[in-house]
Amino acid sequence: MTEAKSAPVDAAWLVGLLQAGDSFYPTGSYAHSFGLEALVRENVVCDRETLRRFIFLSTLPALRHVELPLAAHAWRALAAPDWTRIGEICRLSSALKTAREARQAAENIGRQRAELIANLRGDEVAQEFLRRAEAEQWPHSPAVSAALEGRAFGAPLPAVMAGIAYATISALLAAAMKLLRLGQNASQSLLTEALAAAAGLMASAEQMRFEDIGWFNPWLDIAAARHETAEARMFIS
Amino acid sequence: MPELQGHLSLRAALDARGRSVLAAQSFRAPYHLSKPYWDADAQTLLAQVVNPTAGILEGDRLESTIAVDPDAALLVTTPSASRVFRMKSGAAESRQQFSVAANGWLEVMPEPLVPHRGCSYRQATRIEVAPGGALFFADLLMAGRIAHGEAWEWRRLCLETEVRLGSELILRERFDPAGAELRALAELSGSGPSACFANVVLIATPGENDAPWLEAVAKLHGDGLWLGLSTLRRGGWSIKLVGVDSMRLRDGLRALRRLASARFPKLAYNPRKL
Repeated sequence: MTEAKSAPVDAAWLVGLLQAGDSFYPTGSYAHSFGLEALVRENVVCDRETLRRFIFLSTLPALRHVELPLAAHAWRALAAPDWTRIGEICRLSSALKTAREARQAAENIGRQRAELIANLRGDEVAQEFLRRAEAEQWPHSPAVSAALEGRAFGAPLPAVMAGIAYATISALLAAAMKLLRLGQNASQSLLTEALAAAAGLMASAEQMRFEDIGWFNPWLDIAAARHETAEARMFIS
Repeated sequence: MPELQGHLSLRAALDARGRSVLAAQSFRAPYHLSKPYWDADAQTLLAQVVNPTAGILEGDRLESTIAVDPDAALLVTTPSASRVFRMKSGAAESRQQFSVAANGWLEVMPEPLVPHRGCSYRQATRIEVAPGGALFFADLLMAGRIAHGEAWEWRRLCLETEVRLGSELILRERFDPAGAELRALAELSGSGPSACFANVVLIATPGENDAPWLEAVAKLHGDGLWLGLSTLRRGGWSIKLVGVDSMRLRDGLRALRRLASARFPKLAYNPRKL
């Protein structure tokens, strides 16, 4: 009887994460390929196999060394909350992205997610974050916004990190389906494989020291920079 | 071979004639400083930092601090590649700190780092540029002793760069890949087994006349050279280059400096190296 009563309460954070991770949730990420379009133009990614290699050699390491540890530090800083630390994380998140469009894409998505959680849920911490971000000119960060969502939903850190991994990989695959000859089944098999690998990255990402955060793929950064001046393009980044 | 606690400290300032000079200098092995050379055309002082030992060895701890005062201009380079030798179990570390005051100019363009099989090396670079100051920093990396068929075989290689404009963090990069990971990325991207890298940071106040040189530099991409250029959060550009080999990388870097010199004349200084 007790279990039956507690189940809906325990699952409340899951509902929140499902909502925030759904393609129906208006974060604007559908308009970005996160550098993939430029790599397709350079013929680096041209089919399922090269896309798979790109995900395992670039997307997953970036999650492990950048987005997941940023979110872990933000999630912990929001417990108090420690606004000084949150400001540092926002600035670091922006400074780690050297390609302008990639940085702006992250900031736009981060801002939209923070505003959604503040407005839809009336979350006071998110509202305070938005006030401070504007007053102190913090760049918005998807990782910080994911941590805000997690705190607002009452989600544990591993669930927040899993949500980031899912959103990142699924957004990339959604873009890939528009750029490559890639069907839904092929995408889902890649998503399944990548999510299984991502689960193994979370423990190390969770423990990463703040000063150790950072990673980049030179070819992706170059391609993302070149996308800014491409004559024709489908995605904003 | 004894471990070295290397130390280099330089400060460039204007003298009474309006020339840049080394107003302060101190160094300890493995650092050595050649006689500085004043280039009247570029209005820049060239300082060559020499490592008379074979290279960087296990246990070495290197510290360098280079500061440029207001209105002074300094180009710091090295005459040869920095080899990082195999290490049994330990590691070596280099900490670099560069600062540029308002209206100062600092170019740091050492020869490439060549990590040998089994080395473990960390390089941490901290750069602070005051508003109105300018900097061109180029960090070059070879895959290894390519001519010996030895590439991507370091035990650990960690290159960190942090740039602040005023007190604001505008760039942080941490490059800590396993050799096998980078080899696989080079293969995926078509740069091949001898790929070489240059990570360039150019800090300067963006101007209205930037479009021509930016467009010209972007066109260098192709024919075995990947080149991407993008604006930082504020106050400058990140420029990354990957060449299929060291010669292609050098060609690209030489062309980059030549084209950017239309906007930043001090890059016209020919150190007769590239």
